[in-house]
Amino acid sequence: MEIAYFLGCIMNNRYPGIEKATRILFDKLDVKLNDMEGASCCPAPGVFGSFDKKTWVSIAARNLVIAEEMDSDLMTECNGCFGSLFEANEELQHDSALKDEVNEVLSEVDKEYNGSINVRHFAEVLYNSIGLDKLGELVEKQLNLDVAVHYGCHFLKPTADIGIDNAERPRILDDLVEATGARSVPYKDKMLCCGAGGGLRARDKDVALSITKEKLDNMVDADVDAIVEVCPFCHMQFDVGQVEVNQKYGTNYQIPVFHLAQLYGLAMGLNKGELTLDAHQINSDPVLAKLVAELDANATE
Amino acid sequence: MSLIKRLKSLFGGDNKDVIKNKSVKEAPVNIDIDSKDKRSSTDKITEEKTGSSVTKNSTTPKPKESTKKESSKKEIKKQEVSEADPVKEGSESVEVIDEKPTPKGDSIKKDSEDEIELAVEEKNEVSEEKDEKGDNMTLLEENMVIKPESVNREFTQLFVDAGIDSVEHCFQCGTCSGGCPSGRRTPYKIRQIVRKCLMGLKDEVISDPSLWMCTTCYTCQERCPRSVKIVEIIKLARNEAVKAGFMAPAHRATGSFVIKTGHGVPINDATKILRKKVGLSELPPTTHSDAKALEDIRAICKATGFDKLIGYNMETNELME
Repeated sequence: MEIAYFLGCIMNNRYPGIEKATRILFDKLDVKLNDMEGASCCPAPGVFGSFDKKTWVSIAARNLVIAEEMDSDLMTECNGCFGSLFEANEELQHDSALKDEVNEVLSEVDKEYNGSINVRHFAEVLYNSIGLDKLGELVEKQLNLDVAVHYGCHFLKPTADIGIDNAERPRILDDLVEATGARSVPYKDKMLCCGAGGGLRARDKDVALSITKEKLDNMVDADVDAIVEVCPFCHMQFDVGQVEVNQKYGTNYQIPVFHLAQLYGLAMGLNKGELTLDAHQINSDPVLAKLVAELDANATE
Repeated sequence: MSLIKRLKSLFGGDNKDVIKNKSVKEAPVNIDIDSKDKRSSTDKITEEKTGSSVTKNSTTPKPKESTKKESSKKEIKKQEVSEADPVKEGSESVEVIDEKPTPKGDSIKKDSEDEIELAVEEKNEVSEEKDEKGDNMTLLEENMVIKPESVNREFTQLFVDAGIDSVEHCFQCGTCSGGCPSGRRTPYKIRQIVRKCLMGLKDEVISDPSLWMCTTCYTCQERCPRSVKIVEIIKLARNEAVKAGFMAPAHRATGSFVIKTGHGVPINDATKILRKKVGLSELPPTTHSDAKALEDIRAICKATGFDKLIGYNMETNELME
């Protein structure tokens, strides 16, 4: 299996450990990730989609064309990129007037959108094309962790178009997390947004942080060891945003944040340096130490 | 009769829901037929919806509360203007101000609409209280009255033309506001914005900073019993706001990053070091390491006029003052 690997912005430009873990994971799974040379920002659905639809859909279409030229489906591990590219692809496939309009713009750069590929999310690829059994075989260390799973918004919604899982009570991520031995812990308002999307973090950080704080409060109440998500933007909001919440509200929250790819990285035995966890704002050492201690304890038993 | 009907629909509600969705999609397509036809199709919809809203209203008091609070301001406006039926097409009732002297009940007497009627009666009570207290100090100010000249029908038509004709399906139940994370902590009232878009109150919508409080989380759209594409409405309204010059400096900056680098969040030195450390290429194989690709992005932004839209000077590569 081969797939066009769409990077986006925040993962590769802020949290490269997610990209590293993904490349190692897919290598082990015997799936070839082909780089999309010259791809750009997706561009962000709630941000550029809010500014100017034509610009948004044209830049998105250019990215889609790069995958079309590679003759393969596209995979991204960011909810925002997924939402943007999936939605643009869907609209362009069903609206010929929009397609013509976009192709006129793309003719400026010698590209033409055809609508020949599918846009897929990393987690959906793992779940549907790899499967939990095969993923389970990769796990070298059963992760004895209590995890707050955060779905984010653009992975599943709008369900009428995307249809991966139910948006109110989904299972897909919980199952993927539990394949590593970790436990997905229920917590209040699990499906709540991280607060960053739609340009809100840039426009009004206080409001964004107040949503993030509500989320963190609920996670702390559930006494979790870590947050696991599938969106680098949520990742950043929980990592950088957690520090900002602590400053703003006088809390002392220290919940480490792992992208699902990093969680699999831990399960495959990668160290924190390879996963760039040591560059996160929130220190994951206590949780990693707990994992190691448990492994040692198990080994001596 | 209505009680029986309510009970019936309560127990047989599920089937009706399925039918409802179909008739909903068909009914409001006829935008320009005369108001009587419109009214009857809207009535049908509300009647069918009653079944499922009964349980909701009786078990969850929250949406009702927010309805009252949210509408108190609006309600005053409406009494003064025409006592427009809250379920009906707003722009129309606004324009026939003088022809509607009888306020209450007129349009809500249909016997099957008991649920709606209840809600309306409640609202009226609220505003009557206010009237008593505030005879000489009414909270209503001149600029709160919706006048025909503030109605921009072309604005509403924009949504229809963009394929978001579902804006016309909204019956103001407030489910959207009830689930909205931003609505709980800011003046952002998604239900009201959808209403204003339908009414054609363009200036109010695009100049309202709370329009930008939406995180595009889709909770409203997922839960909307009328399948209104609410997030699409917000995005299009924001497009219109930006065109009119309502764009936050931080958003202009984000826009400029894409023209400048191809990325909304460009790489920094710390990440370059990190990438090398873990054995990745220092720059990702994106516009960051492909000058021709970046030129493509700039050409696209020029072709769509995005540079002018955000006030970006392609020559100096900076945002203009």
